[in-house]
Amino acid sequence: MSRASLFHEQTARQRIASLVDPGTFHEFLPPPERVMSPYLPLLDIPVSFDDGLVIGRACLGGKPVYLAAQVGQFVGGSIGEVHGAKLTGLIQSAARDAIPCVLVVESGGVRLHEGSSGEIAISEAMRAIFECRAKKVPTIAVIGSDIGAYGGMGILTTCCDFRIMTEHGRLGISGPIVIEKWMGKQAYDSSNRALVWKTSGGKTKYLIGDADMLAGDDAGSVASAIETLLGKSRPLTLAGLKSRHGDLDSRLKTFGKTSDPHELWSGLGIKDTPQASLASAKEFVALAKRKVK
Amino acid sequence: MKTPALLQKFFGKSATGITVKDSLLTGYARVGAQEVCVIGTCDGTYINNAAALRLAGHILDCIENRPKLPIVMLVDSAGQEPNRTAEMLGLASYFGHLLSCLQLARQNGHKLVTVATGKAIGGAFLCYGMFGDRIDALDSASLGLMPIEAMSAVTKIPAPVLEKLSRTMPSLEFGAKPFSLLGGVEEVWSKTDDYAAKLAQAIAAASPADNRAALGKKRGGRKLAL
Repeated sequence: MSRASLFHEQTARQRIASLVDPGTFHEFLPPPERVMSPYLPLLDIPVSFDDGLVIGRACLGGKPVYLAAQVGQFVGGSIGEVHGAKLTGLIQSAARDAIPCVLVVESGGVRLHEGSSGEIAISEAMRAIFECRAKKVPTIAVIGSDIGAYGGMGILTTCCDFRIMTEHGRLGISGPIVIEKWMGKQAYDSSNRALVWKTSGGKTKYLIGDADMLAGDDAGSVASAIETLLGKSRPLTLAGLKSRHGDLDSRLKTFGKTSDPHELWSGLGIKDTPQASLASAKEFVALAKRKVK
Repeated sequence: MKTPALLQKFFGKSATGITVKDSLLTGYARVGAQEVCVIGTCDGTYINNAAALRLAGHILDCIENRPKLPIVMLVDSAGQEPNRTAEMLGLASYFGHLLSCLQLARQNGHKLVTVATGKAIGGAFLCYGMFGDRIDALDSASLGLMPIEAMSAVTKIPAPVLEKLSRTMPSLEFGAKPFSLLGGVEEVWSKTDDYAAKLAQAIAAASPADNRAALGKKRGGRKLAL
């Protein structure tokens, strides 16, 4: 796999192969072991031998990492009982072994076909993430695909120490189609891709501070972003959370009445929105002049 | 049951220490002799950015000013608000902030006890109540990912098919009992129970270890999570 391939077009296994040091990936519960969903056959839906999640250990820049990558092509990368248990198990292993945990996210959230089982699984994975954070083991979410991180998976990524996004990635809870149904096409036209990405895409999330890094759409850029974060963690402290509270409060006060993303962009210092929309990740980061904490 | 009457059943006279505003609950009250911090939702309200921030603010106040006080979370919320502006401003991050505040409380020795009193659905349950050390529910509460009609609309699987499956699959059925079979709820309370006594027991029994996968396996509702 050449590092010049577009990250958002790669499959989960291609992403892992192109991120880690060659030949170092060792998969846990690989497809030949056939750990699969017990629910989907009851609904006449095809199963996948890995239940849509690839997990394992590898080295990245010579350092050990635990990695998970979601398979968006399989039921939208959604989290069912098995997918969720694999994810939680991996994160718990990271906490136990004090090895950084990287989640390559591509998921619409809970797998509806598995209902509450998937929902509880996400909650368990969140608990495992905070177990890592309590032990200062870095947890890093990479959101670089069109499917992005939605529903419970969107919330889960906000529990991690760090989020790396590309401009293709999206982060949110309710997706555009659900919001369009709820609010009407006038308020949110889900087929308007520019609006969808300005609402939830990587550039907007980087600008408001919900993504810590904006990487280019290639595995090399994503890998070097991960490398810069591997030695860092963000332990929870009262002072840190109070400061975050203030940031979120002033964001709501400043922009709570705005529904226009262009106003948000200009309010955050982007003078030329069309130019910034077309800018590469590197150019955008320079334009954004965000104070990195 | 109306909110004031429900709070009375949990906290007796001390329920006056809980502010009810915009269907959000924040305050301090007593369970028997034990002082507790309370956050919650009522009226099946939708949680938005401001709501999550308000609940988080109260948790920070408790951590700072009332060390180690148990935190009681009451849940009656139909979900997160599907709204474009809310999404643009990072609703997920507001939820993540609320969870982070609860985690700091846990690390600082506060017990986290949840009672699902009404609707406890999707992201609204995930963003605080499901994060408890101990999670109980009233038998009348509606717990689950989403109602069968909504699930049918999104998955394109006919509602009668899902309805039939839900009778043997607790993860598709809505309610406190099926959720407890999956391990997501420790104990289901009946309406004749003494809520204050039950809550006191729940606080005493709460432990920070996540036992839900083990519970789901033991009860047979979620066999593969462990």
